[in-house]
Amino acid sequence: MSQYLPPAIRRGLFGFSIPVYVLLYAPLAIIGIFSFAPSLGHSGPNIAGYSQLFGDPQVMAALRRSLTLAIGSASLGTLLGTLMGFGLSRFRPAKGGGVWVGTIPSLIIYLPIIMPSLVFGLSEMIFFNFVNQHTGMLSAGLLTMGIAHVTFQSPYVALVVYARLSGLDKHLFEASHDLYANGFKSFIYLTVPVVRPALIGGFLLAITLSIDDFTISFFTAGPGSVTLPIYIYGAIARKGASPEIDAIGSLMIGTVIGVALLYHFVTRRRERQLVAVA
Amino acid sequence: MVKTAVQGEARAASFRLWMTAGPGLFWIVLFLLIPSAIMLGLAFFTNSDFGSPVLPLTFGSFSEVVGYGILGWSGANATILLRSLLQAGTATVMTILFAYPLVFFIITRPVNARPILLLFAVLPSWTNQVVRTYAWMQLLNPQAPLARLAQDVGLIDPHLGLMPGNFAVLVGLTYNYLPYMVVPLYAATEKLDWTLVEAGRDLYAKGPKLFFNTVFPQTLPGLLSGIILVGIPAFGDYVVPELLGGDRATMMGSLIAAQFTFAPNWPYGAALTIIMLVFTCLGLISFRWLTQRLGGGEEAML
Repeated sequence: MSQYLPPAIRRGLFGFSIPVYVLLYAPLAIIGIFSFAPSLGHSGPNIAGYSQLFGDPQVMAALRRSLTLAIGSASLGTLLGTLMGFGLSRFRPAKGGGVWVGTIPSLIIYLPIIMPSLVFGLSEMIFFNFVNQHTGMLSAGLLTMGIAHVTFQSPYVALVVYARLSGLDKHLFEASHDLYANGFKSFIYLTVPVVRPALIGGFLLAITLSIDDFTISFFTAGPGSVTLPIYIYGAIARKGASPEIDAIGSLMIGTVIGVALLYHFVTRRRERQLVAVA
Repeated sequence: MVKTAVQGEARAASFRLWMTAGPGLFWIVLFLLIPSAIMLGLAFFTNSDFGSPVLPLTFGSFSEVVGYGILGWSGANATILLRSLLQAGTATVMTILFAYPLVFFIITRPVNARPILLLFAVLPSWTNQVVRTYAWMQLLNPQAPLARLAQDVGLIDPHLGLMPGNFAVLVGLTYNYLPYMVVPLYAATEKLDWTLVEAGRDLYAKGPKLFFNTVFPQTLPGLLSGIILVGIPAFGDYVVPELLGGDRATMMGSLIAAQFTFAPNWPYGAALTIIMLVFTCLGLISFRWLTQRLGGGEEAML
């Protein structure tokens, strides 16, 4: 399709896009460089930011909380999201199905995606506060943050699973039925293998969403549930930039980029293997 | 007899639907729909001296929103609303201007290079919001090389950084939301029917005319999704204006958040939230109307 574009335009696109890529990574690179910045009176790279970071019990506790929150919420979010995606693609009548079965579930699923995250976070803060005042349950902390995270993760997982299943031939289910598979068996032997890539992708997406989020976490957090992003935000507000924050930021950026590239190449390789087998 | 069998099957399907999709839907209703309804309801309560909502029900918060306070009318809120709309709109236009060439660059590369190029365009947005914005603070502050260059060229006064301010907020928003424009636009461009471009060229269309008559209509569904995905969150963004904006670049998000944190006035904050949601809904409704009029863009919808 690229042959339809004249060389001059292609060169222009190339010349424009490379600087855009550079611009996309410049801020991230700056943090990496600053994290090794020499302190006053010394020369050469300096790892003070990193040693400070690993010796700081507050940061380590925040890291543990972030990981607990991400993995815990992503597990439940993937479960609920997968069930939603599966149910809506399998059991919803092809032609709409009226308001209750057709429109309302879609609206509910899109609500967390569309709602501005500030409104999302504040609503939940007020709700948890209200419930806590009247019942003593759900005091602000990792639990309330987890509930909020599951709320925004599950719709995305549902969309991923739904997209995967809607590309599937409906007759496969009829075929499995003809082979005397009951609902449970066809779920285990047909749906699960088909959905597995979407399941893994959905789970990783849920973890990314959890780690990426600040606004919703910030408003649903309690005094004892400072996660990494909230710690960083507080540190910036208190004392501005510091080598320690540069170091935390670099590690977070490095981890996300590393995991994303790993996932990309692993799935690409498996795809190529499948093509080779076929 | 046949009819009841069909009805029974439909009932079984709807039972299975609620068994599978039910828990997730119930979760969202309980933990988001009901909380946001409560939040909106708060707008009609009176503010107590401690910033919490009390009876009687009133429209007082709304007159505060339009600018009537104890000191008479002020245009501060209107300014903030207009600034938020303007910043979100400009950021959306910026992402469009960056995304079109980028997407067409990716599409001109060999097929097996495209996924990794797309991934590299999206990757920065997977890092944490605060870290990303902090990175721009590092890049734009008065001591940073970029700000010094701007000082030397004479774009800004010496000793003044590129942040905090409206410019820094615009940069932050554009950076944050660029991938949300790139992804839907890429999806639309990948399916582009290039024979139509050839046909246009055969009819002696050139340059912008060729683009707007052949390419643009085909990428329009992707563009519209991108505008929604960028415009709405940019309008309600909290982190970017908070960290890069400073006092004279306040946007709706910071104003609302302040009413629930250090200047507690929950009813007023809830009323401001309603204003924000009204503009969000207006955006969504016009988007739906446009996609329906222009056709397409629905297939990925659930």
